[in-house]
Amino acid sequence: MKAIGIIANPASGKDIRRLVSHATVVDNNEKVNIVKRIILSAQGCGVERIYIMPDTFLIGYKAIEDLKISKELNIDVEILNMNIKGNVTDTIRATEIMEKIGVKCIVVLGGDGTNRAVAKAITNTPLIGVSTGTNNVYPEMIEGTVVGMAAGVIASQTCNIGETCMRDKRVEVFRDGQLVDIALVDCVISKQTYVGSKAIWNIEEIDQVIVSRAHPAAIGFSTIVGTSLIVEEEDDFGALIQVNSGRDRVIVPIAAGTIQEILVDKPRILGLDESVHFKPTYNGIMALDGEREVPFKAGEDIEIKVTRRGPYRVIIDRTLELAQRNGFFKR
Amino acid sequence: MDLSREKLIHMYKTMKRIREFENKAGELFAEGSIPGFVHLYIGEEAVATGVCANLKDSDFITSTHRGHGHIVAKGGDLKYMFAELFGKATGYCKGKGGSMHIADADKGILGANGIVGAGHNIAVGAGLTAKYKGADQVCVCFFGDGSTNQGTFHESLNLASIWKLPVIFVCENNLYGISMHQSRHQAIQDVADRAVAYNIPGVVVDGNDVLAVYETAKEAIERARNGQGPTLIECKTYRHRGHFEGDPVVYRDEEEVKEWLAKDPIPRLINYMLDNDIVTEEDIKKIDEEVDAEIKEAIKFAEESPYPPLEAAVEDIYTDLVEEVRR
Repeated sequence: MKAIGIIANPASGKDIRRLVSHATVVDNNEKVNIVKRIILSAQGCGVERIYIMPDTFLIGYKAIEDLKISKELNIDVEILNMNIKGNVTDTIRATEIMEKIGVKCIVVLGGDGTNRAVAKAITNTPLIGVSTGTNNVYPEMIEGTVVGMAAGVIASQTCNIGETCMRDKRVEVFRDGQLVDIALVDCVISKQTYVGSKAIWNIEEIDQVIVSRAHPAAIGFSTIVGTSLIVEEEDDFGALIQVNSGRDRVIVPIAAGTIQEILVDKPRILGLDESVHFKPTYNGIMALDGEREVPFKAGEDIEIKVTRRGPYRVIIDRTLELAQRNGFFKR
Repeated sequence: MDLSREKLIHMYKTMKRIREFENKAGELFAEGSIPGFVHLYIGEEAVATGVCANLKDSDFITSTHRGHGHIVAKGGDLKYMFAELFGKATGYCKGKGGSMHIADADKGILGANGIVGAGHNIAVGAGLTAKYKGADQVCVCFFGDGSTNQGTFHESLNLASIWKLPVIFVCENNLYGISMHQSRHQAIQDVADRAVAYNIPGVVVDGNDVLAVYETAKEAIERARNGQGPTLIECKTYRHRGHFEGDPVVYRDEEEVKEWLAKDPIPRLINYMLDNDIVTEEDIKKIDEEVDAEIKEAIKFAEESPYPPLEAAVEDIYTDLVEEVRR
């Protein structure tokens, strides 16, 4: 069965960054529209069945209803039978169920945070991240039609996954030798002590940033490294940088519409699986992919590593190019 | 963000003051000491507290039928509040307004309001006043999810947006308009989505986390003071009690109630302060005792206060027709 899954987060893109920066607004009705375009395009590219995560805004139900009314839906689209909590656990649970069903690809609508939640549960299923969050680094701003086409190509299994996908890196955080959390792009160590509105934006309180990738063309904390050192996803290393110390002043696109000058040290390259032990002298919090998540206390021993244990991410351009060369689009 | 020990303790004490005021109001209503209706704010304390901790006395708020929490958080005097609930002459409205009309102009409290959605227009008026006078004032408009289908909500967001008024619209989304679940009265999950139609920022925040509310409101208020216009903040929260005291609450699922009780904002703040060595158990106990004493004193004041005289029924009204009655 050529099946794919869709996870659309109704809560993405509505946090405080609409106040502290000029972050993108994607309302939930537009997410319904994007899901409709993905369904139609996947259907057109041979997908036979689609599973959608249930959510509190009923994104999946609304998409199905609209497509049934317009008589455009010719394949089975099913909302997963699961109880929803209206929080991040829904995303994790839906990922697990979709993997168990054996979907060939999971499409995720959300921000870095939503993709990070999927990454916690996903194993070998290829993932396509569609940005509907806050000017993200991990998911791409890409048209739903193209996403559905790429998902169709992956589901057709006519292309080698080794050529269409890349196993991404991730930042892993350990406490007492136990993995406590992950980030796909960046782990920010902050002197702030509470989760609050989750997003992080105050440079003054930041101590260090550890990244799996960094580029000046991204937006957010990874660019603190990226404006000094480019770390591509292909590179078998990550990097660490001390913030508010050192002698270099750099300007950084820290948030949408916000270029900020900050003092940094030289970035340090971290080899894959190289452990960095962080022993804070203050209580603080780690922000993972831009969200305050893991509080820590002075004196704790926290281990951080960049590994290549992230999701298999579909490289959309390459996938469609391969499909074209393989004659996928010919009828 | 700067959050001093004093500020955290102030916010804890405010939430505790609201909780105990409401607990006592519920008890007194049940025993028949309070006439009329009371709509308790228990469970939603983090919203009023987190927002008002950013306001000055000169700033305005407008409130709702569930207004006790807003008034306490903005600095209302518990003595006069209880006296008003008891219908005594020393109350905020001389005992003639009751629970749903408490106002204190000196503190910028433009009134609780028994009409759903009536605070929006008043807030826009206050915002226009501040802008017209060039005063460094903002107005916070508190309202529930049920009122966001009223014309007043849309008219107010529109006017505040086109005139860039210093108004912060704070939706306390407790999931129910009286007994109707939000999913049955509007086709959206996040009221904040409606901001985009008026070209203003819309933010969703955990309304049971006072620190999240505080920092979100802080940014919105600064934005308003800087002349950048209004913001719509949606605080996801839950009322522990029914719509009004006496409501049998047959429309809520037990599991749902259980989940939200576990997210009670007061223990969350206590745990944060204890975990980070900001306070000790002793400190909390001392604050709780201070609040208890304050509540007892306020109730004593209210109980010992006189009822308004009969002739007060025709005082403080807007028409001269009652002269005949006076005579």
